[in-house]
Amino acid sequence: MTCREAEPLLHARLDNELDMASSASIDLHLSDCRTCAAQYAALENLHAEIAAADLAYTPGSAFERRLSAQFLEEKKSPFRFWSASWLNAPVMAAAAIAVVLLIVSIPVLRTSRESDAVAGEILDNHLRSLQAVHPVDVPSSDQHTVKPWFQGKTDFSPPVPDLTKEGFILIGGRLEVIHQQPAAAIVYRRRQHVIDLYVSPSVGADSKPELRDLGGYHLLRWTQNNMSYWAVSDVDTTDLRTFASLIRGR
Amino acid sequence: MDTKVRTFELTMWPHMRAAYNLARWLVRNDHDAEDIVQESFLKAYRAQESFRGSEAKTWMLSIVRNTAIDFLRRYKSSPTTTLSEPGYEPKDESPDPEHVLLQQTRRDQVRQAISHLEPEFREPIVLREIEGMSYKEIAAVLDIPMGTVMSRLSRARNLLLVELGGSKEVQHDLP
Repeated sequence: MTCREAEPLLHARLDNELDMASSASIDLHLSDCRTCAAQYAALENLHAEIAAADLAYTPGSAFERRLSAQFLEEKKSPFRFWSASWLNAPVMAAAAIAVVLLIVSIPVLRTSRESDAVAGEILDNHLRSLQAVHPVDVPSSDQHTVKPWFQGKTDFSPPVPDLTKEGFILIGGRLEVIHQQPAAAIVYRRRQHVIDLYVSPSVGADSKPELRDLGGYHLLRWTQNNMSYWAVSDVDTTDLRTFASLIRGR
Repeated sequence: MDTKVRTFELTMWPHMRAAYNLARWLVRNDHDAEDIVQESFLKAYRAQESFRGSEAKTWMLSIVRNTAIDFLRRYKSSPTTTLSEPGYEPKDESPDPEHVLLQQTRRDQVRQAISHLEPEFREPIVLREIEGMSYKEIAAVLDIPMGTVMSRLSRARNLLLVELGGSKEVQHDLP
C-alpha cells in the first residue's frame, strides 16, 4: 500500500468505518510507515481536541418553549410532558391501585434479600414519576445535554446512549436516592410506555439481567463494570430485554 | 388526540437539538439559526406524510441544510460578506501568534478554525466530529456519495491541522 492509497483509509479507520480486512491492512501500513503513523496520530489528536472543545450548540430555552408550543400537543411542552391530559384517567387509576397493592404486598414479598426491598422502592419511584408534573430534572432528548448534567451531581457518570434508531426515545434524567444511595434515573420512552433506568455504583462481579414482576410492572436488574442497573416499565418483557441489551452493549 | 402531532413529536422532535446545532454552524448566529429551525420544522411537519424512511434524523437534518442554503443564498449574497456577519466571532487582527494564544482559549481556537472552513468542508466536520454521524448518514444529509464524504473529511481535517497546528507549535515554545 502506498501512502497515497493509505491517506483516505486513515480517516476511515479513525471514524470506525473500516471492515476488519481493510482495518488490518491499514494497521500493517501504519506499523511500517512513520510518516503515515505521525499523520494518524495528528488526526487522533485533532479528533480529541474537537471533542474536548464540546462545540455542540444548544437552542435557548425560550426558543425551545416557543417551538414546542407551536409543534407539540396543546397543554404539552418538554416541561409539561406528564400533565394529566396525557395520562388518561384509567391509566392513572391503575397506577394508584398498583401503588396500593405494592404497599400491601411488600411485607409479603420482602425476604431477607435486600434486592427485593430495593425492587419495591424502585417501582414506587417509577410510579411516582409517572404522575409527576416534572418527572425529569433535565428534560432533553439529547444525550449530549443529559449526560454532562450529572457531572458534579453524582460522582459517577451514567451511560446515556442515544437509542432513537432502535425506538427508545430519551426523555431526560433526574437525580434519585434509592436505598439511601444516590442514583441517576435516565428516562426513555418506548411508544406510549415509560422506561426508567436507575444507575448507581455497586461492587462485585457482573450479573446478567434478572426479571421481576411487581404490580403489573416489569423490572430487570443487572450489574456491569461496578454499576448496578434497574430498568422498570410496563412495556412488554421482550422490549424491556431489548432495551437492557442495548444499554449493556454500549 | 391528534395523531399527526403525536407522530411528529415521537419521530421529529427528538432531533431538534441536532437541527439547531447544524443550522447554527451553517448560518453562524443564533437568531438566524432559530428561524432556520422553525422553518425546517414547519416543512417537516407538512411533509410528514411523504416521509417513508426510518432515518428521521437524516431526513430532518437534510431539510435544515437545504433551508440554510436557501437562506444564505437569498439574504447573504456575497461569500465575503459572511465573514463580517453579526454573530461571527471577530478574528483577532494581531499578527503575533503568541498574542493570539493569550487572547483566546484553545476551545475558541478550535471553534474558530471550524468556522473558517468553507461550507463544503465545515458540513462534514460538524456532522462527523460534533454530531457523531456515520459516513452513510452524512452522505444522506449532504446528498453526496460516501466516497465524497471521505474525501471532504480528509481535506477538512488537513485544513484544520494547518490552522490549529501553527499555534500549537508556539505553545511548545512557551516557558
